[in-house]
This record gives sequence, C-alpha cells and structure tokens, in this order.
Amino acid sequence: MSRAVDPALQTAVLAALEGALNRALALSPRRGGELAPFAGQVFALHCTAPEIDVYLHPRDGGIRLTGVHDGPVTASLRGEAADFAQLARAADPAAALINGELELQGDSAPLLELQKVLSTIDIDWEAPLVAVLGDVAGHQLAQLLRGSFSWSREAARSLARQVGEYIHEEARLSPPRAELEDFCADVRELDERVNRLQSRSARLRRQLDKLRG
Amino acid sequence: MGDRDTTDFGYREVDRNEKAGLVGAVFDSVASRYDLMNDLMSGGIHRLWKRFTIELSAVRPGHTVLDIAGGTGDLAARFADLVGDEGTVVLADINESMLQVGRDKLLDTGRLDGIGFVQADAQYLPFPDDCFDCITIAFGLRNVTDKELALASMLRVIKPGGRLLVLEFSKPRSDLLGRLYDAYSFNVLPRLGRLVAGDADSYRYLAESIRVHPDQETLVEMMEDAGFSQCEYYDMTGGIVALHKGIKA
Repeated sequence: MSRAVDPALQTAVLAALEGALNRALALSPRRGGELAPFAGQVFALHCTAPEIDVYLHPRDGGIRLTGVHDGPVTASLRGEAADFAQLARAADPAAALINGELELQGDSAPLLELQKVLSTIDIDWEAPLVAVLGDVAGHQLAQLLRGSFSWSREAARSLARQVGEYIHEEARLSPPRAELEDFCADVRELDERVNRLQSRSARLRRQLDKLRG
Repeated sequence: MGDRDTTDFGYREVDRNEKAGLVGAVFDSVASRYDLMNDLMSGGIHRLWKRFTIELSAVRPGHTVLDIAGGTGDLAARFADLVGDEGTVVLADINESMLQVGRDKLLDTGRLDGIGFVQADAQYLPFPDDCFDCITIAFGLRNVTDKELALASMLRVIKPGGRLLVLEFSKPRSDLLGRLYDAYSFNVLPRLGRLVAGDADSYRYLAESIRVHPDQETLVEMMEDAGFSQCEYYDMTGGIVALHKGIKA
C-alpha cells in the first residue's frame, strides 16, 4: 500500500512531537492532568496538503499521537496545513473553526477544549532532539527551533498589532476603539436631546391647544 | 515449499530439520547484544518500524495479544501498556536465550502483570483456536522453516475479526537504494557483527536471509493462500522493511 509519506518518516515526526508535548505537559502545573477529561476520546486531523493523517489520543498525564487509527473518532478535521495553522494560532478558535476552511465532523466542543489546553503548552524541543540526534546537533537544532518559534510568535503578535494600526490609523477602514466609544456616547447624548426636544414640543403643543380652546 | 526436503538458510539449502537448530545457534550467539546491534544496524530506525506496527495493531484495553518471535520484548512492552489491566500479552519465542533476555528486560522495567512468556514454535502454536485479538511477528517469519505452516497456525489462534501483522525486511523499491542496501548489508553488517557481538557469520546470515525472503507481493499471496482476508502491506524506508496486515474473516 503506497502512502504519500513514508510511514517511518511520519512516525519519526509524530514520535518527536509526542515526546516534546508530553515533556511539556509533565512540567505543566497539573502535570498533564488537564487532559484527563479527554481520556478515551480520539481526535483526527486529516491534512490534505501535504497528505498526512494525525490522530490525537489524550489521556490523564499525556497524549499519544498516531498516524493510523482503526476505530471511531470524537471529532475530525479535514483541510490544508495552512488552515490547521490558522486554527492553532487563532485567538478565538470557535470563530476560526466556523469561518475557516476546515471541514469538521463530529463533536466540536471537546476539540475546541483540547485546542485551548494544548495552545497553552510551551514546548521544550531540546530533550527529544538531543535523544534522537545527540547533544551537539540536538542542542543546535533546538535553539534554532526555539528561536524560530519565539520569533514567529513575536512576529505574529507584532503583525497583528501593525495590521490593527494600519486599519485604524492609516487606511481608516475601521475607527479606533476610543473614537468609536466617543461616537457612541455622542449618539446616546443626541438621542437623549431628541427625546427631550420631543417631550418639550409635545408640551408646547398641549399648551397651544389649551390657549386656542 | 511444503513439498521440499530442503529449505533456505541464508543462501544455503539445508535439510528442513536442520534449519531451526541453525537459526537457534544464530540467536543464541547474538541474544545478549541483540538490542544494541539492532540500534547500530538500523540507526535506531527499527524503533520507528515497530512503533508503526503498534499503531496499525489497533490494540485497545482488554485485548489479548500474541507477539511471536518477540525476542527482547520491544513490542510486548508497548502492548502491555495498551491492553491495560484487563488485557493479556503473550511473548513467544522459539529461542530460549532470546526469551530469557526479553523476560529479564520486561521484569527490569517493572512489567509483571498481564504478560506471559512462552517458548513456542510459530509453526505449532500451543494455544486454543480463536483466542488472540492481534498477533504480531516482527523480523521473525523469515527464520521460520515452513512459513505456510506458521501462517496457518497463526490463523487458527486468531479470533475472527482479529489481525495478523508481519513486520519483515523486504525488497527496496528503487534500484539505487537496493544497491546501497546490498553494499551495506554484505560489507558493513558482518563487520559490525564481529566488532560488537563478536560474530560476523550470524550477521552474514541475516543479510542473506533477507535476500531470500519473499518480496511484498509474494507475502501478500502467501497470507491470502493461508486464509487471511483484506491483506495489504505498507512499505517503510523505501521498502527495506514492509508491514503486512491480514484479517481473519
């Protein structure tokens, strides 16, 4: 049976990722206990470009990643790698899931909960890489990865800030929050004044009718 | 194969009754350094091949698993974690030295409950019919004298719906990889065997036995002939190793 990616290669990547995730979970305040509610559930990620399947098997204290699963899944997502990356980075995963390109089957609630737990984990790449590649090469690669990850995280934050500033200040596509709040306050005040004017004119009309009568 | 009086032992043809003894001598010789040699020979990749085997096994808590030619217990240890307290794992090997090393290793890692150790010949498995959810045989089938007999024996003891997984060296898919692999197998492996395990001949046998082992498609046919359904295989590392799967209908 021919597969897009050699199973040994895919297994190597999953083993390294699983090791890194479990080490990070072991060092988390609840030592991976945050995954206990997901025990027995299986989440499938079917990536279409590149063609890779990943199954997440969370349990109390850790998570198992496999490339094959023969059985029912709690929820499955299908889409391209970029769509998954977008969901992983999203500040509001529920909105990203609804508005994004990923195709969801099954129960989305536990999937979003799991995404929330996993997104808080700070992965230490060094231990699994040193175990595979040895001290020198493993340390160098881990530093490179750590640097890239923290750079990309910072870059993403900075990009979000700059895009926000551009939309608000430069292109004026959307008003800044303070300006919008001032505008809303002005609308409220205008609304009150119109109401007051309406009451006053009604009172004057009644007085006028009385004088005529 | 069943009609012949001789069988292969690497590139040599030997009497059918001799092969088990000759293979036994090979594994007696390498048992103590087996894990180390596996890591050195494959650059650690054998762990990935076995990990994928575990994934494809679909073993769950409560299952009963038989690991034939289980050697030093790599698969059995992982299966023991997966089947949990309600399940059972049987580590079987025809070779006493290998079984001893495997048993010591599992006991040293604290795995006692739910694992049985049986010295058994894959051709004549000493178990009742329909009793295992999954059977694995990793790098063992090519050493068996009569592979058809062994496959029939495995089919008998698997439960209907259960699966057999055969992890074995196979035929590389590209000529270039095949040539590189040949050069490595016949020049580097025996030297590595002499240096680390003090035994070049056993590792020469390993290289030869891989070359005479049935290729991917032939093994699929053998499994189907034995009575397995939905037979398929997964090439790994360019076909150097293949994982065959068959279901008992």
